[in-house]
Amino acid sequence: MKFKLTNIKNYFKRNLHRLAIHLLLTSVGILTVVPYFWSLSTSLKRREDVFTTPPRWFPIPPTIENYLEVFKLAPFGIYLVNTIIVVLGILLLQIFMATTAAYAFSRLNFKGKNFLFILFLIQMMLPVHAIIVPNYLMIKNLGVLNTRIAMMLPFFATGYGTFLLRQAFKQVPRDFEDAALIDGCSSPQIIINVLMPMAKATYVAFSLISIVTHWNDFFWPLVVTDTPQVRTLTVGLAMFVQQESGADWTLLMAATIFVTAPLLILFIVYQRKFIESFMSAGLKG
Amino acid sequence: MATKRQRFLRILIPYFYLSPSIIFLILFTYWPVINSVYLSLFRHSVLNPIPIFTWLGNYESILKEEIFPTVLKNTLIYAIGTIPFTMFLAFSLAVLINEKIGWLRNIYRVSMFYPTMIPMAAAGMLAVWLFNPGIGLVNYYLGKLGLKGPQWLYSMEWALPAIMITAIWKNFGYFMILFLAGLQNINKELYESSELEGAGFFQKLRFITIPLLGPTTVFVIIVGVITSFQVFDLVHIMTQGGPADQTNVIVYFIYQYAFRFWDIGKASALTVLFLIGLLTFIIMLVRNIERKVHYEV
Repeated sequence: MKFKLTNIKNYFKRNLHRLAIHLLLTSVGILTVVPYFWSLSTSLKRREDVFTTPPRWFPIPPTIENYLEVFKLAPFGIYLVNTIIVVLGILLLQIFMATTAAYAFSRLNFKGKNFLFILFLIQMMLPVHAIIVPNYLMIKNLGVLNTRIAMMLPFFATGYGTFLLRQAFKQVPRDFEDAALIDGCSSPQIIINVLMPMAKATYVAFSLISIVTHWNDFFWPLVVTDTPQVRTLTVGLAMFVQQESGADWTLLMAATIFVTAPLLILFIVYQRKFIESFMSAGLKG
Repeated sequence: MATKRQRFLRILIPYFYLSPSIIFLILFTYWPVINSVYLSLFRHSVLNPIPIFTWLGNYESILKEEIFPTVLKNTLIYAIGTIPFTMFLAFSLAVLINEKIGWLRNIYRVSMFYPTMIPMAAAGMLAVWLFNPGIGLVNYYLGKLGLKGPQWLYSMEWALPAIMITAIWKNFGYFMILFLAGLQNINKELYESSELEGAGFFQKLRFITIPLLGPTTVFVIIVGVITSFQVFDLVHIMTQGGPADQTNVIVYFIYQYAFRFWDIGKASALTVLFLIGLLTFIIMLVRNIERKVHYEV
């Protein structure tokens, strides 16, 4: 083995380069995690341990008292159930509507196809939050203010989902359908037995994005609800903050952490699926 | 041969498949847009429960509103202050994470992307706690550095920046993932052949990565514009528009008119102005950038 000075220099240089990258990424990563970690730690502290200087990073001893008290002060259990109902209700109807529309756009020919498709696309630029006043009046006129269904209705039609599924359906070779047709399948059967299974990855990606979006939505549920019985977690949190304006930070942080925990746990468990989904669906959108 | 009736039904089939979506698109997207134009022409509030036609009266009184320029200014500062910085951060980190860095890559991705999973409202609460002037972590460490931290959310100058910092923290990971997706679509052979020619890290960045990420960048900018012009959750949780409207932004302003003052007419006029502004901005943006972007890979 020959030893050249340039080789050593190159080796050193390459590793220095790599070390610099790791240092940078590690510090950004830590900075990003700190706010959540700090709040999690606060939520597990006893009240008197919050005000120490220097700040104590770990809650010693940890206590779940704050969480129990939050549950006594506000119906976070009901909020959780409401959130799950609303999120899954939206997802189910979105999948139904986007599938049928995507089928029409990818497989059928009809007058006004391009125009209608553009109507679907423009919806992505006109989210409900931008037209919240007339949407509120619509819900009011339908007589469903302050219901769970009111929190779902505006999101059933999804230009984004239709667009993603149309792309996915277009990639399914026609041969599969022809074979199914010969076997005597009807169009709905083709959708269910051929197209949907072949587009599974897109369904997973869209579902995860939809769940995250609507789990985290705040503005629309805030506007159309006014009693705790129907409210979702995010709105419940905001109400809790107002109610506990005495600034008991251990309680406020316990409530905040509880609201974020379900999705975060899901994310940590299925991180690869989540990240891949956001990557693939983001790019196509 | 198919009868006339069967042929007629066959023509209707596509519309039948589209009808669920179209009904809901009309009810909750297109009718509301038209309706807000219509509503904006009437004086209609708690004080005037019976709508009175006023032509452009609502627009006139909005333009005369003393804080309207402040609201516009805040919205623009927020957008211009967050979008470029978030994108720069996201892009740089995506490039670094895309290097050959081994198993730590996944930990970096997770630790930077997790804020996407948190509701804006909850992110606002975390920020309220961290930016607390007396016992918040931010001012403690600023003090360690010998700096006197500002009053943040209670300060006229620092409330909006605090909200912007929170938004950047919440969003850069999502943008980074979008850039990473774009990076992974770039043909590796391009890098390999350029390395054979002796191209270094920055040359590859300048001549391969940046040009080929054009479409991704356009997409990220549009997402950034649409979301940041609609910032609401953070403002509602962190400051409620205060102090003295220094963090009041356009969508929060609409919310105040509609759901605090119950002035449907003015809120609708504001909505119309907002939609016109948003769409003009996006069209201008797309036109300007598209000329500079190479679409073929």
